[in-house]
Amino acid sequence: MDGAVIGIWLAALLTLGIMSFVYRDNLYYKICEAIFIGISAGYWFITFFWDSLYRIAWIGIVHEGRYVLLGGVILGAMMLMRLFGKIGWIARWPLAFIVGATAGLKMMVYFTTNAMAQIHDTVYDTVTAFSGGDLYNLIGRLVILLGTVTGLIYFYFSKEHKGIFGGVAKVGTWFLMITFGASFGYTVMSRMSLLLGRIEFLLTDWLKLVK
Amino acid sequence: MKHQIPMLILSAVGTLLVVSVFVPSAQHWGEDATLYFDIIAVFAFFLGGGNLIRVHTEKVSHKSAGWIYSVVTLLGFGIMLVTGLFKIGNPNGIAGDLSKSGSYFQLLFQYVMSPLNSTMYALLAFYVASASYRAFRAKNTEATILLVAAFVILLGRTALGVLLTNWIPAQLSVLQIPNLAIWIMNAPNLAGQRAIMIGISLGVISMSLRLLLGIERTYLGGDS
Amino acid sequence: MIALLRVAKFVVSLCSLLFIVSFLPGQSVYSQDTASSVNNLPPITVKAYDTENDAGSSITVEWSDPGYWRREGFNGYRLSRKNVASGIEDSLDVLPTGHVLHEDRSVSDDSSYTYTLAVLINGANLTSTSTEVVRSSKQWFDNRLTWVLILGLIICGAVIYFIESAKRGTKLFLRRIAGLEAIDEAVGRATEMGRPILFIAGIQDMDDVQTIAGLTILGSIARTVAEYDTKINMPVCTSLVMTAARETIKHAYVTAGRPDAYNDDMVRYVTNEQFGFVAAVDGIMVRERPAACFLLGAFFAESLIMAETGNSIGAIQVAGTAMPAQLPFFVAACDYTLIGEELFAASAYLSGEPRQLGSLKGADVGKAIAMIVILVGVIATTIASAWNSESMLWIENLLRQMFSTG
Repeated sequence: MDGAVIGIWLAALLTLGIMSFVYRDNLYYKICEAIFIGISAGYWFITFFWDSLYRIAWIGIVHEGRYVLLGGVILGAMMLMRLFGKIGWIARWPLAFIVGATAGLKMMVYFTTNAMAQIHDTVYDTVTAFSGGDLYNLIGRLVILLGTVTGLIYFYFSKEHKGIFGGVAKVGTWFLMITFGASFGYTVMSRMSLLLGRIEFLLTDWLKLVK
Repeated sequence: MKHQIPMLILSAVGTLLVVSVFVPSAQHWGEDATLYFDIIAVFAFFLGGGNLIRVHTEKVSHKSAGWIYSVVTLLGFGIMLVTGLFKIGNPNGIAGDLSKSGSYFQLLFQYVMSPLNSTMYALLAFYVASASYRAFRAKNTEATILLVAAFVILLGRTALGVLLTNWIPAQLSVLQIPNLAIWIMNAPNLAGQRAIMIGISLGVISMSLRLLLGIERTYLGGDS
Repeated sequence: MIALLRVAKFVVSLCSLLFIVSFLPGQSVYSQDTASSVNNLPPITVKAYDTENDAGSSITVEWSDPGYWRREGFNGYRLSRKNVASGIEDSLDVLPTGHVLHEDRSVSDDSSYTYTLAVLINGANLTSTSTEVVRSSKQWFDNRLTWVLILGLIICGAVIYFIESAKRGTKLFLRRIAGLEAIDEAVGRATEMGRPILFIAGIQDMDDVQTIAGLTILGSIARTVAEYDTKINMPVCTSLVMTAARETIKHAYVTAGRPDAYNDDMVRYVTNEQFGFVAAVDGIMVRERPAACFLLGAFFAESLIMAETGNSIGAIQVAGTAMPAQLPFFVAACDYTLIGEELFAASAYLSGEPRQLGSLKGADVGKAIAMIVILVGVIATTIASAWNSESMLWIENLLRQMFSTG
């Protein structure tokens, strides 16, 4: 029996093990789960080790002379101080670095790509529809305008959702529900195809029932 | 010292990275910070991996319930570490690329991890079915709207949607389910998405400022 | 009559000729036609200038080709650079048709240069006159981001203003958020049932602001957990989140006056693998049967697997994410869902601290600005395009400049 056949048998048995969870939690699933956790944790450690520690840090600093990366190594080493009770608090420094960097970078990214770009598109989509589009297109764009504004009103925190304001916020909720329904409906079919993919593997590669 | 310095680091790094976006010669700082993050994450993994080993070793040594699964986890973790660190079976030896097919590490990925991953992902088909069942029992106006939108989109992506409404004349083709589905995706769905995205960005700004100003600091152990 | 016939014959012949010519290969017809028309073309004009909004060491060379590129035998443009001080001349790249601009990134800010452009045509190369002397320099501010800076300052200014005014004691109203008010109820239920609560901070690392938001909410939940003496179980999929979550829970226990009840094992690392983590969480859910599950952070496809498993064990579920694609699944499978911005507002809301609440009020100013801009923008630009109103056109252009991020 060659290695590939063993591999396919192994893959098939693991596939069935995970699928068995749909029925209920069982010994077979627990073994597959344990294998999955061990193997995947090891996989990621090795990937991080070679890709980040070796390729970025070691090659970068030692071979390419990018000494600026030494800062990362020092912060990383500080992280390990958690292992030493008394100076464990030093691990907060790299954590603070990461949180600070994330806050600074993401604030700008979200502001430009989400807020500004979406405001720009909402305005100009509507205008384009007014100036050249047909009635069908125009109604669509007005719906976008109405939905965006009422949706934003739903997210307004500093005013109680009562009276007219509450009514408008309610319309916003309906738009959000349409959005969720649309995403839901859109995803259902693609999720079904994933299952078909696994069944195909079992029938074709493993059992060879389908050619 | 234990709290002021981390706060100082956080505020300084965050502020500098905001400023760097506007200064051409500093615009690469964001990328450098990402590299720093990658390196710190590897060191942190020694803590995570260590925790994994400790938790499961304790379970085995105390013969706690399900200790045998901990043995399997530890074995899986160990095998992956050994094959990956020493690149066992790698066609080009220790100097070769780890992603080269043929190495034991890649074989384990291909025949163990990949099928486990795909199957777990595929389970979504069952879960999406049960969630649909729940979502499609419209209990109020909001749930009904969600249901109708989902149903139209779902039908619009299948041949059934075409079959059901192809009798509608061309002048009213917008009412044919596939066209209606496209309209829902491009108009009300887009509106909702935009409101959510603008809201998210303002939420991120407000939260980032709370972090940078040191108002929110629980994840750093607060003032304890 | 004969004259008329002659004219008709001529027209027919001409049409036939044109008809035949139209079937000939396009390029050769075009080239023959244009080759003669470009014989007396004006010289090519070249200008060089310091590249704008950059970190220096870059000069942009721009030229306008009056039509040499249409000539038969055209082989491209060759750009040459001369260092004014040393006199050294370098031949740069040969650029094919279509190029009218080249950014030279191999210059030094300390030297001055001139450029010439040669049009390479078989046999004869036509060289332009030298550009004016140019020197590269770095800019301290990226002008393209002026409006980003102004708008960012307005919104950040509003947030900071309300934080400060809350600090001074101004009372701020905030509407209730259903999902957050259910947290105490969920923890209380877990306490009554003697079961743990499960907290998942998403599957991303600390470089995702949603994970940080999840951890800030964890701080409030953990304080309630500590007060009620309930068990909290938090599997994580990255080591950095493990470290931060431990700090958060430890702090909550200290704040609640129960530091001795804290244990590092409340948070444990599972695996970085998305579905490996899900397999483990599903296992924990069905075996430990937590009374409440909190799914707060960045989630992807695994959101539904976790939420449905939690639902199947009858746990109260509070979820929240800023991933729009996953929100429908949480809405369908969980008792309460924090939608997008609500996730970021949650920790401020739960803390009840005036300064934190002030920041939410500031974000509301941002929303008001967004709504006003959208409405004014649509009205102004619609009037501008329908009636050619100059003032409205001005507003349209202004808004286009302000919100153009590309």
